[in-house]
Amino acid sequence: MQGSGEAGRPGSRAVNSVQRIGSLLRCIAGMPDYAAHLEHLRRYHPNRAIPTEREYYEEFVRSRYEDGPTRCC
Amino acid sequence: MTLKHIGWLLLGLAGAVAWGVLALHRGETISAAWVVLAAVGTYLIAYRFYSRFLAERVLGVNDRRATPAERLTNGRDFVPTSRWVLFGHHFAAIAGAGPLVGPVLAAQFGYLPGTIWLVFGVVLGGAVQDFIILFGSMRRDGKSLGQMAKEETGPVTGLLAMVAVLAIMVILLAVLALVVVNALKDSPWGVFTILCTLPIAILMGFWMKIWRPGRTLEASLAGVLLLLLALVGGRHVAESATLAPYFTYSGLTIAYGMIGYGFIASVLPVWMLLCPRDYLSTFMKIGTILLLALGILLVLPPLKLPAVTPFIDGTGPVFAGKLFPFAFITIACGAISGFHALVASGTTPKMLMRESDARLIGYGGMLMESFVAVMALCAAALLDPGIYFAINAPLATLGGNVHSAAEVIRGWGFVVTPEQIDGLAASVGEQSLLGRTGGAPSLAVGMAHIFSSAFGQGLMALWYHFAIMFEALFILTTVDTGTRVGRFMLQELAGQIWRPLGRTSWYPSTVLASALVVGGWGYFLVQGVLDPLGGINSLWPLFGISNQLLASVALCVGTTLIIKSGKARYAWVTLLPLAWLLAATLTAGWQKVFAGDPRLGFLAHATQTAAQVASGALDASRGARLIFNDRLDAVVTMAFMVVTVLVLVASAREWVLILTRRKPAKAEESPFVETAYAG
Repeated sequence: MQGSGEAGRPGSRAVNSVQRIGSLLRCIAGMPDYAAHLEHLRRYHPNRAIPTEREYYEEFVRSRYEDGPTRCC
Repeated sequence: MTLKHIGWLLLGLAGAVAWGVLALHRGETISAAWVVLAAVGTYLIAYRFYSRFLAERVLGVNDRRATPAERLTNGRDFVPTSRWVLFGHHFAAIAGAGPLVGPVLAAQFGYLPGTIWLVFGVVLGGAVQDFIILFGSMRRDGKSLGQMAKEETGPVTGLLAMVAVLAIMVILLAVLALVVVNALKDSPWGVFTILCTLPIAILMGFWMKIWRPGRTLEASLAGVLLLLLALVGGRHVAESATLAPYFTYSGLTIAYGMIGYGFIASVLPVWMLLCPRDYLSTFMKIGTILLLALGILLVLPPLKLPAVTPFIDGTGPVFAGKLFPFAFITIACGAISGFHALVASGTTPKMLMRESDARLIGYGGMLMESFVAVMALCAAALLDPGIYFAINAPLATLGGNVHSAAEVIRGWGFVVTPEQIDGLAASVGEQSLLGRTGGAPSLAVGMAHIFSSAFGQGLMALWYHFAIMFEALFILTTVDTGTRVGRFMLQELAGQIWRPLGRTSWYPSTVLASALVVGGWGYFLVQGVLDPLGGINSLWPLFGISNQLLASVALCVGTTLIIKSGKARYAWVTLLPLAWLLAATLTAGWQKVFAGDPRLGFLAHATQTAAQVASGALDASRGARLIFNDRLDAVVTMAFMVVTVLVLVASAREWVLILTRRKPAKAEESPFVETAYAG
């Protein structure tokens, strides 16, 4: 259920589906998806510096909980 | 007629038959299957036909129009997300303790009123609100409800909406915290398990940030496993004569502990405590709700609660007030919840890949929450009515011990023996279940019944504490994230008075705002714990009223959006639920303040308390505090009502101006951009 940094490498079908389930769970819980962010940077901002996984995590978590209610009663 | 039509016709018939059975059934018990069938049949029909009408005719969903997730994509909050994944994300955000607690409390009227309101309230009200606000926010680059109110109806309305949201937050946090206090008081097992979540969360926090940055899933998996270990460990603590006293606390001590926790969680960096707890509780929540659904569908338990109890006349012990209006404010979340309008105008609109996805996520997501509430109602209704009232009536009403309780409950016409009450408490590993008002314990007993019949007998106590742990865990998560959100709102408001107070990175401002928010809900919490009527009696209606009034504000905004987009002829889709909601909520608010019955009206209770003090039956200082609290509750209720009426008047003025063509019908939407996605 890990390996968020290694998505995109061609692997067996099992590895792929584990990764799919992983990103599904991450999205449901509102967790950062580093691999998807790298993909976004590569596509839209090829010249921008790439943050480390830790930098991205810190930035994501900080901004998520500053932005209005994320959870209901 | 095609095959497809015949399928829908049959489904409609099945739902109608189920409603008929529910309405006409006379007898001891009825299978939960009928409730489930009636609910699901209605949801599917409403989703297929009504939500489609809303999407195509009223809102004009257009899949050629690029969503904010596509236009503003940034790989962080604006991320195009496939619709079923986003459905899960949105559902996890809207489902909380509300839909579990409200229906359990409203079960004092019987299972039928709650079921009818949950199902018809959601398809005509709650799901409509969520869908329209989600859609409106999506058309405005993910703006919040407050910002939309400000832009569409003016700055005063925007400010009022903001103040209302903050006030609701304070009441919400207090009442949810009270539910946890009532579940955990004098329960070493529960307290131990919940205390363990703190070190587990901190461990996860360091794991995800320092040791293995970003590995959120593996840390959460470890967290869930540790939590289950703590649950099993709790039994040994509760059974040990040396350890149990260290974890046995009165309600008041637990309340102060939670207040301290809320403050610390609000000023600590989020990664350390708040975020890992959020992950932990989300996975527990999804897992447990799936388990509950599976259990109910496997067992289809017989419901022992009557369809309608005599307490619809307002004499019920759990909370005061007649069926109308109190069923409709006791059950807020699950039928219609104003709080959803905040979430539906938060993270979700920034992630929609296509406009048409808003239908599944906004309307469909709310139907799902309503179904959770229906299941919670079933879990409460499967209990013997006598047991249900033993758990939920205030201790003072029950006379303090199982013998007096059995006597009192017999007087209400329900049969229960002292041995049954004691036996149940022992089977779930508690000293006593009497007077644990608040919904969580009776729901946990119901869930424990279902789980142990579905997944093997003999683990009743473990299942009970599993259910308590899961409810307490995500209520505490609401408490800490809510305190933090309240802190940011307060800082934003205070920044308009003195600029430095608005800087969220300035430590004195952070500490001050956190202390004020925690102090606000903490005050109401302590008031609830000390309340001789059990606290839930006064605080839950206050929460219900505030939440429904926020829903009214959201429906006002929704109506404005519809009228401004030139679709005034369809404005009834929001005006109809708005009218019903205002009728129920303003009546309830009025009765809570002015009713002559001291159990119901805050002011009448203050007068009664004053008389008790005068006659020497009550200590003067205690009496003065009770009177102050009654008056405070009355003022807060009136303030909610006034704010809502002001928003309604401001909105109605806007509607009239547009309809009489003195103002152009022009919505403040972001300009159209053609999508780049293939159709």
